Amino acid sequence: MTPQSDLKTILNKLHYSDDAKVVAQISEQTKMVMSRMKGIRRKVVVMSGKGGVGKSMTTVNLALALARMDQRVGLLDVDINGPCVPQMLGMRGVGLFDSPDGAIPPTGPLGIKVASMDFLLQANAPVRWKGPMDLSPVWLGMTEMNVIREFLSDMVWGELDYLLADLPPGAAADKPPLLAGLIPDLAGAVVVTTPSEVASNVVQKSIAYAQELDIEILGVVENMSQYRCPSCGVENPLFEGDTESMCEVLGIPLLGRVPFDRNFARTFDKGQPILDASDPTVGKYQDIAKKIHTLLDYQQVLAGKS
Amino acid sequence: MKFVCLKCETYMTFEKVEKPAEGSLGVFFECPSCQSRFSMVTNPGETQMVSSLGVQLGGRTVDHAPLEMTRGGLQDNVSAGKGQMAAYLNEKIQGGQPATAASAAPATGSSESGEGGGCPFSAMVAQMGLGSSGSTGTTAPTGEQLLWTPDAQEKLAKLPSFVQPMVKSSVETYARKSGFTTVTLQVMDDSKNASTEGIRWTPEAQERLDNIPDFIRPMARREIERLVKERGGSEITAEVMEEAKEKFMKFM
Repeated sequence: MTPQSDLKTILNKLHYSDDAKVVAQISEQTKMVMSRMKGIRRKVVVMSGKGGVGKSMTTVNLALALARMDQRVGLLDVDINGPCVPQMLGMRGVGLFDSPDGAIPPTGPLGIKVASMDFLLQANAPVRWKGPMDLSPVWLGMTEMNVIREFLSDMVWGELDYLLADLPPGAAADKPPLLAGLIPDLAGAVVVTTPSEVASNVVQKSIAYAQELDIEILGVVENMSQYRCPSCGVENPLFEGDTESMCEVLGIPLLGRVPFDRNFARTFDKGQPILDASDPTVGKYQDIAKKIHTLLDYQQVLAGKS
Repeated sequence: MKFVCLKCETYMTFEKVEKPAEGSLGVFFECPSCQSRFSMVTNPGETQMVSSLGVQLGGRTVDHAPLEMTRGGLQDNVSAGKGQMAAYLNEKIQGGQPATAASAAPATGSSESGEGGGCPFSAMVAQMGLGSSGSTGTTAPTGEQLLWTPDAQEKLAKLPSFVQPMVKSSVETYARKSGFTTVTLQVMDDSKNASTEGIRWTPEAQERLDNIPDFIRPMARREIERLVKERGGSEITAEVMEEAKEKFMKFM
C-alpha cells in the first residue's frame, strides 16, 4: 500500500465498473426509444423559435390532413407545460390506458393517436414537479427532457406512417432543436412563423440552430398570413412581413400560407375541430400536408429507400 | 460516480441505497479489500439529479411501469417539495439565515481577479471559450474590411431589413473565399450561384433547377451539389443536370 500515490496513478491501475448501473440504465432508455420508434415510418417535428405563432394549430391540422390522405398518424404534444392538443381535438378528460407493453395513446378524430401531458393532469392544473425546482432551473430542464424521453419510449404507438411532434416554443432556453434530437431517424422539421419581422427574426435563429444539429428543415408554414372575414370570406393582410424572402435567403421552401380564420380558431378552442375537407382553411393545410408528403417521398427516393 | 479507498487503492463497491429522509438518499459503498464502509448522503438537489435521469442506483428492483418517472415526479399538491432545497441550505450551510437563490449562487468574478478569477463558474465558462459577450473566447479572424460599391449597397438596402444581415454575411463570406476585396453587383450575383460547398452553378444549370417545384428545389439543390462534390467536381452544368435527370425525373 502506498498512501502517497496520487489519484491519477491509482486510477491508472484500476478497472472501472458500473456497479451502480447508471450507465447501463441510460443506455437501456435509449434502446427503448429506438425500439418504440421503429414502427413509425416518418417522424416530423413542428417547431418555431417564437411562441404564439400557431404551432399547435398547425400540428393538429397537418395531422388531420395526413389522416385524410389515409395515413396512419400519431401526434405527440411535447409542450409539457402548456399542452393544448387534447383540447383542440376535443379530447380533454381522456386518459392513457396502461398495458403490459406500455401506455396506449387514445384515439381522436380521423383515427389520430394522441399523447399529451394533459392526459396526466387534473383539469386546469399546472405542471408541478416534486423536488427543489424552486432553486435551480437546471433540475427542471433535466426532468423535462426525461419526461419527453419517457413519452417517446413508453407509448405504444404501433405501426404509424407519421408521428408529428408539437414542440414547445423557444429558441434558446429550452432549445426545441435539442428536443427534436431525442427522436431517432427524424425525417425533418416544419417551422411555423407569422409574417411579422419579430417572429421571422426569432424563427431564423431557431432554423440556424436546428441546421447546426443536422435537422432537415422541410419548410416553413406562414400562419396568420391574412385575416379571413367570417362574414364575407374576404382575406386582408394581418402583418407586414416577408416570409417568402426569408425562405429564399435561407434556401428553405415556403410550404404554404394559412390565414387567421376566426371561425377556425373558435371551433378548435371549443374542441370541435373542423374536419370538412371543403373548408378553405382546411384546404390550405391539406395542400401543405401534400407538399410535406411529396418532400418526404422525394427524400426517400434520394436515400435509395424506394 | 465512484469512490476510491485511498488506503487500499481500489474502487469501493456500490452496496445499497436507503432513503433517510424526504429528498435525500443514503448511498452505501464498501471497500472490497479492507471492508471499510461509508455512506454518501445526498442533498435534495443531488437527489433530484439522480431522479431526473430516470434511473435507480444499483439497478432496477421492480419492473418498469409506463411513464413511471413522469407520473412519480408530478406533485400531488402545491406545497410538496416547495422550498426543499432552500430549507436544506438554510439549515446546513447558511446557519439558519435565509437562503436565497442569489446567496446560494457563486459570486461573480471581480475585475481584480481577471478572467474568471475567484469564481469557479466564470472560470469554467472562460475555459469553455465563452466570454461575457456570448461569443467564443478565441477571436475568429474577421479578415479585412470589404468595400461595397454604391450599386451593391443599394441592392442590399432594397432587401427586407431583417434579411439584410444574413445576405451581407453570405455575400462577404463568398467574396473573402474567392479573394475579392470589393463587393460589386457581379460578386453579389456570383455569390447566389455559389453554394456554401464552393460549387458553382452555371446559368443553364440554374435555369434547369428553377424548373423544379419551389418546395422541392432546396433539397434538389443540396442533393445535386452533393453528387458533384462526391465526384470531385466544382461546377454544375446543364450536362450534369441532364445526368441527374434520371434520378430526379419525377420532379424536373
